Amino acid sequence: MSSVTIRGVTKRYGALPVLHGIDLEIRDREFVVLVGPSGCGKSTLLRMIAGLETISSGDILIGDRVVNDVPAKARDIAMVFQNYALYPHMSVYENMSFSLRLKRTAKDVIDRKVREAADILNLSKFLDRSPRQLSGGQRQRVAMGRALVRDAQVFLFDEPLSNLDAKLRVVMRTEIKALHQRLQTTSVYVTHDQIEAMTMADRIVVMNAGRIEQIGTPLELYDTPANLFVADFIGSPSMNFLLGTLEQGAVTLADGSRLPVAAAPQVAAGRKVVFGIRPEHLALSDDDNGLAAEVEVVEPTGANIQVYAKVAGMPLCAVFNERHDFRPGQVIRLTWSPRQAHLFDEASGQRM
Amino acid sequence: MANRIQKAVPLMMILPGLLLAITIIGYPIIDLAWTSMQDVSRFGKLTGFNGGANYAEVFADPLFWGSLWRTGIWTVAVVGGTLVISMPVAMILNDDFYGRGLARVIIMLPWAISLTMTAVVWRWALNGRAGLLNATLMNAGIIDQPIEWLATANTAFVVEILVGILVSIPFTTTILLGGLSSMPQDAYEAAVVDGASGWDQFRHITLPLMKPFINIAIVLNVIYVFNSLPIIWVMTEGGPANGTDILVTYLYKLAFRFGQLGKAAAISLVMFLVLLAFTMLYVALVSRNDRDDAAPEEEVDA
Amino acid sequence: MTSKLTRSLIYWAILSPLVVVILFPFGVMFVTAVRPREELFVYPPTWGFTEFRWENFSEMWVKTNFGGALLNSLYVSIAATAVALLLSIPAAYAMSRYRFAGKGAYRTFLLMTQMMSPIVLVLGLFRLMMALGLVNDLNSLVLTYAAFNMAFTIWMLQSYFNSIPRDLEEAAWMDGASHLTSLVRIFLPLAVPAVVVTAIFTFINSWNEFVLALTMMRSSEDFTLPVQIYAQVAGRYQVEWHHVMAATVLATVPVAIVFSWLQRYLIRGMALGAVK
Repeated sequence: MSSVTIRGVTKRYGALPVLHGIDLEIRDREFVVLVGPSGCGKSTLLRMIAGLETISSGDILIGDRVVNDVPAKARDIAMVFQNYALYPHMSVYENMSFSLRLKRTAKDVIDRKVREAADILNLSKFLDRSPRQLSGGQRQRVAMGRALVRDAQVFLFDEPLSNLDAKLRVVMRTEIKALHQRLQTTSVYVTHDQIEAMTMADRIVVMNAGRIEQIGTPLELYDTPANLFVADFIGSPSMNFLLGTLEQGAVTLADGSRLPVAAAPQVAAGRKVVFGIRPEHLALSDDDNGLAAEVEVVEPTGANIQVYAKVAGMPLCAVFNERHDFRPGQVIRLTWSPRQAHLFDEASGQRM
Repeated sequence: MANRIQKAVPLMMILPGLLLAITIIGYPIIDLAWTSMQDVSRFGKLTGFNGGANYAEVFADPLFWGSLWRTGIWTVAVVGGTLVISMPVAMILNDDFYGRGLARVIIMLPWAISLTMTAVVWRWALNGRAGLLNATLMNAGIIDQPIEWLATANTAFVVEILVGILVSIPFTTTILLGGLSSMPQDAYEAAVVDGASGWDQFRHITLPLMKPFINIAIVLNVIYVFNSLPIIWVMTEGGPANGTDILVTYLYKLAFRFGQLGKAAAISLVMFLVLLAFTMLYVALVSRNDRDDAAPEEEVDA
Repeated sequence: MTSKLTRSLIYWAILSPLVVVILFPFGVMFVTAVRPREELFVYPPTWGFTEFRWENFSEMWVKTNFGGALLNSLYVSIAATAVALLLSIPAAYAMSRYRFAGKGAYRTFLLMTQMMSPIVLVLGLFRLMMALGLVNDLNSLVLTYAAFNMAFTIWMLQSYFNSIPRDLEEAAWMDGASHLTSLVRIFLPLAVPAVVVTAIFTFINSWNEFVLALTMMRSSEDFTLPVQIYAQVAGRYQVEWHHVMAATVLATVPVAIVFSWLQRYLIRGMALGAVK
């Protein structure tokens, strides 16, 4: 097991820059999730750690060793691929034992390790099958098993659950997390699904357009997003953003509504700001003092109801755990705890 | 260092094949160009530069112009006929019906057989005295006298064109089938919902989407047919009286019958240039399709 | 919606003239190959004949030196296929897996060679083989067939190679395999079907080639089958048509069977690469 250090790493394809200088320290035994929209460079970064992509500039270290020029096969890293990449002409047993056979490990050691891994992953019954004869979830497990037998320094996961259906994805998510708690192998996990990131990560790295937007624990990102991008990306449904002007202790919207915020930052009054509030932090007001919102669509999910409304011409979503019988066109009054409100500078998008 | 070796790996992989291709295909072109400007003895000895004399001789030769004219007819007729037949055949073979597998096998059959063998069999089948084509037509009451199909240039050339079409159908159908099988099914379903008739679908969906495949089928066929020697060679050897000669048969006779190597080299070069023009067209067509299809290679993020 | 049965009948009705014309030469071949010699030229010409003369085949075998030509054809086709594949597999792999300088130019070059027909170059090729002392040597055909088939084999192989996921090899590297190991233990086993199919098509192309064989092989003991059969017909006053047809049956039927069995792979390969 080992730490992974990324120092000022960039990647260009010809003239096209893909990564603009990434600095990231992944600690020993840590489970780090790289998350971001398609094309943000997260998979490229993962493949650079793996040694499958060259580094245009900067350094990647595994432990204390700079691995920039070390080929993939010598990095002692295991990787689970998005499409599993199971060798179709080998049985499950042969798939899982391939790396050990390459290393000329003793037969009995191989056998013990494969059976151990198969046991952990509930694959013992399938060792003689070919990948073709397995379900998606089982293939996923074999791909994990192939990594597991290795005792590698680092595990890399490249969107390993994206080909599974929603239900199985939740199950495998839990299994991978449990596995990490048990093995404690340093892991880097790439996904575009923020829920996967939130539920699995020790720390999350949010990436966008070849840059890191924020690094932090799931709750840090949820509670104090560093900028509008992270605020929007983390949480579901997404945070509401209302454009307004900052005046003593409150944000004034275009229609004159005043939104109270906690300690007003020390900036000139009249500054254009974005007021952010998460849908689950909105509550119905007891009196007529709350923010007026006109209901447009109501979506019951069973566990809660999601209300889509308009405030001063801007869309707003609220989630209530209690059941309400709202009708389209109805005006509701909303309130919140000022501590849960977020303020962002409109021009820079940064948190204030 | 390591980087440079890595860069050399793919080049090392293509190099041996490239060398063979350059030797076998590249060198003769140079040699032909050189030979075409020389006086050449019957036995292939170059006896001196003669400028454009060989070319002048070629362009003054009525047999050359006759062959060129027939090459045009031959190419246009065979390629056109092939396309007109192959399009409906491909559409039928792309649809689901009883015996489709068998139909595909039969339609593709001429492709498996060398043109030489096909031509030999037809030469016999068209025999004026005992040919089984005459037997069939007489039995059916279509003719009452056997016809000497290959004895006059006109009938011989028509028959050769028909055989040419027959052997070109499998390849053309294959290309068109490749195109048809990649047609988006939902476009047809959407068209049906929009109230399009079968003809509308063909006119407004199939044809436009098939255009790149039709273009490639045309260009490739033009190149193949333009170059096709065995059918005419085996059936009539360009005769009677040069009446079915096309450029390739005339060229072959000049080179290997009459020993007029300089003149033959000149014709080869003229043909090479024509071919080059078509090839450029083909390369342009293919790379245009490639560009249209090219998905961004790099970013692997889903 | 018409039923499948109606549709099938209509389709077969439309295809029937073409089917008849395609099958007609096969009928001619068989009927002539097995009829007695004295029934070749009867008037009026007829399909019918009095008895099956299977001895035609054995007579033909001896008289036309069919065995010798068969061996020549086998040698040339197998050797040309082997050379073409040996050179094409690494090239196709490089085209499928690497980005390198000059790749575009190489692709264009391949396309051009695919278009170059032997007939246009035949005089230059003949002079080249003269210079190399390879006229009347079957190896001249091996080299030329390999060269002229390579564009096709590289395209075909490349389109199949592209369908073998790259991440299988990457997974092998991650598992600690060198490039060579991953090539031998992961890639090649998966590429076997593609290589076999491509090999068979190259074989058939070489088997059927006529112009170069006619030109390079000047003495009859070096003839390949197409030339040998052509020689039974060309420039002879008396053609033994029953022998010629027996020879064409033997030379074409095995190839036609293999081809029929494989043609769907050709369609797939074309759809994957050469055309699209």
